Amino acid sequence: MKKLSVGLAGVMLAVSLMGCGAESTGTESTAVESQGTEETKAAETAGEAADENEEAVVITAWHDNDEAMMNALADVVNEGLKDDNITLKFEKKSDVTGQIQLYGTDAENGPDMYLFAHDSLGSFAEMGILEPVGNLISDDKQADLLPMTIEAATYKDEQYLMPVYYETLLFMYNKDLWDGEIPSTTEDLYTYMEEHTDTEAGTYAVVNQHSGAYNVAPFINGFGGYILDKDGNPGLDTSGTIAAVSYNKKFAALQADGDYNTVTTLFNEGKAAAIIGGPWLISGIKEAGIDLGIKSLSDFTLPDGNTLKPYSGVQCLGVLKYAAESKKDAIVKVLEVLAQPEVGIVLAKEYNCAPANVKAYDDPEVAANEMILAMKKTAEVAEPMPNIPQMNVMWGPTESFLAAVNKSGEDVETAAAKYQEEALTAIADMQ
Amino acid sequence: MKKKKATPWLYSFPAMLLIGIIVVFPILYTGYISTTNMNLYHWSDFEFIGLENYKRALLKVDSGFLSALYTTLLWTIVNMVLQVVIAYLIAVGLNTEGLKLKRVYKTLLMFPWAMPAYVSILLWRVGMYNTEFGLFNKILVALGLSKMDFLAQNGSAFWACLILNLWMALPFMIMMIDGALQSIDKSMYESAVLEGAGFIQKNIYITIPSLRKIVAPAVIMTTFTTFKQFDIVYLLTKQKGSLSGADLQTIITYAHQNAFVSNNYGLSSAVSIVIFGIIIVFSLVTNRPEGRERA
Repeated sequence: MKKLSVGLAGVMLAVSLMGCGAESTGTESTAVESQGTEETKAAETAGEAADENEEAVVITAWHDNDEAMMNALADVVNEGLKDDNITLKFEKKSDVTGQIQLYGTDAENGPDMYLFAHDSLGSFAEMGILEPVGNLISDDKQADLLPMTIEAATYKDEQYLMPVYYETLLFMYNKDLWDGEIPSTTEDLYTYMEEHTDTEAGTYAVVNQHSGAYNVAPFINGFGGYILDKDGNPGLDTSGTIAAVSYNKKFAALQADGDYNTVTTLFNEGKAAAIIGGPWLISGIKEAGIDLGIKSLSDFTLPDGNTLKPYSGVQCLGVLKYAAESKKDAIVKVLEVLAQPEVGIVLAKEYNCAPANVKAYDDPEVAANEMILAMKKTAEVAEPMPNIPQMNVMWGPTESFLAAVNKSGEDVETAAAKYQEEALTAIADMQ
Repeated sequence: MKKKKATPWLYSFPAMLLIGIIVVFPILYTGYISTTNMNLYHWSDFEFIGLENYKRALLKVDSGFLSALYTTLLWTIVNMVLQVVIAYLIAVGLNTEGLKLKRVYKTLLMFPWAMPAYVSILLWRVGMYNTEFGLFNKILVALGLSKMDFLAQNGSAFWACLILNLWMALPFMIMMIDGALQSIDKSMYESAVLEGAGFIQKNIYITIPSLRKIVAPAVIMTTFTTFKQFDIVYLLTKQKGSLSGADLQTIITYAHQNAFVSNNYGLSSAVSIVIFGIIIVFSLVTNRPEGRERA
């Protein structure tokens, strides 16, 4: 009854909110909307096979990544499972975390697994909808996974997720547009930006999502500040965070409006010589025919002597509790294949993802990949995004703080105090 | 006699059942959840906690809420006045004797209404208001002026949202007024002309009084949708990951920010019910019968 209530409550709230927000001109609800899905060829084939053989098991995983990449991942796993009559099938969903909240207890309509960044782990673990991966696969099978990725997948001393690959922000530049060497200090970088930016003409030296928390985290962490500490306390008004946001402000003034679409378009159209971004930008950059150069953010030194320290995001697979009960054997086999280096090698070669499995780096092609090497180097100083539940409500106040400073010109300290208060309220409202 | 009484209920039962399922049940269920402690930490083991969430919800009726309420009222009034006046003028223009290609104009005017709101809003955000690619900034730069981030400050963001809302909502109002204009007996205008009435007199003494009864429901409906506007303000200025810098709040965006991001379904439901109550009061005030009808 309570499981039913949970599901109903989610749907009812979504209906209520959308009802409140509906505009006469026809608003689309996205909260519970089922998205179109595409299956891999392998999954289709296996689905047909499943019709013929009752023992065939299809494991469904939701994601919101590049579909071609997920299909490639599924193909590797399915190849490894072909003798077991098990098929992993990925389905793309918008707002995966919201969907998992709604369907996380719904065995009929929910997925068996999901793939998403590790920062939502704490929320799902507290909701009690995840089966700890540690209960399904032994430590020795995961011995080759990078400790940083295991740490990200762990909440309250329990490993809930299976790390697949990780990402960090990078300094990506257009070799045809960049003039000279890449500076090694942020001050020199700023000088370069001043000399090579013409905002009225719409040409920029470096663009960044300057009001996005993830993209400003390298400055905040580098200055010794923090968005959220490990005990769940927000740190928007700490001296380190205020210093970082004040410092970032002068860069923001030379980085257009900082929206994702704006900055990626500027870079892909050759109107910006460099962008701070990640491997998710690669497909657009390739299409634009840009001769891309990569530099690790940890190669830039801040005025305080520290390097830029971005967050690392580990993309992990989580297992829903009901699936672990009904399809345990199949899920264990999927996890065992995922823990092998082959998955990481394919994702690295074709999609520039940094594998979680350290053995994947023995592959010569992976070892020579400039982007992956830069991410690996950055990962040495990067901080895993906090995965405690409070992080879910910290993105909003942090980005409001940054937008208020960078876009509306509010005083940094006043805005810091205001949004720290907002963050504390948001955290209190969770209880 | 009993059968006669039961028949209308029988006929309307399917419709009432449908309304019960899709309208009444969600409200009742939200009311139920609002009395529980259902949140992230009590996802499946939530308990009845009485009116505790309402205490917390009402505490949110602070200066921020009052400011959001003021913005919402201003937003509703300015929008409705402009919508009705502009729609009236366009509809009258479309009904001008001898106007060629009327149907083409009317079809074109329907476009903004036919487009999904989500698409329209994002198109305007990038295509019109963006500092690098937006039409308005292209014009400013062509005129030798500096670029302007229309969505960064509260004042300019209010007008940016308002212009987009007018663009999206005017077709409906134009269509309603245009339809109402068709129903006015043409002989009244002929008589007025014979009596020496001009354009303004015809509008004041014939057109506007004739339209009132027909257009009133459309105005009331649009007033509600404007009052509870969420998507334009949210998607233009508050979209996750693309905050514009403006801190423009209507009561719905305020409630969303203060309750719905916390995954506290009990508290969020209580806030929903409080807003529901406010909208019901608002509807009773705006929808009360006119003096003559009361009499």
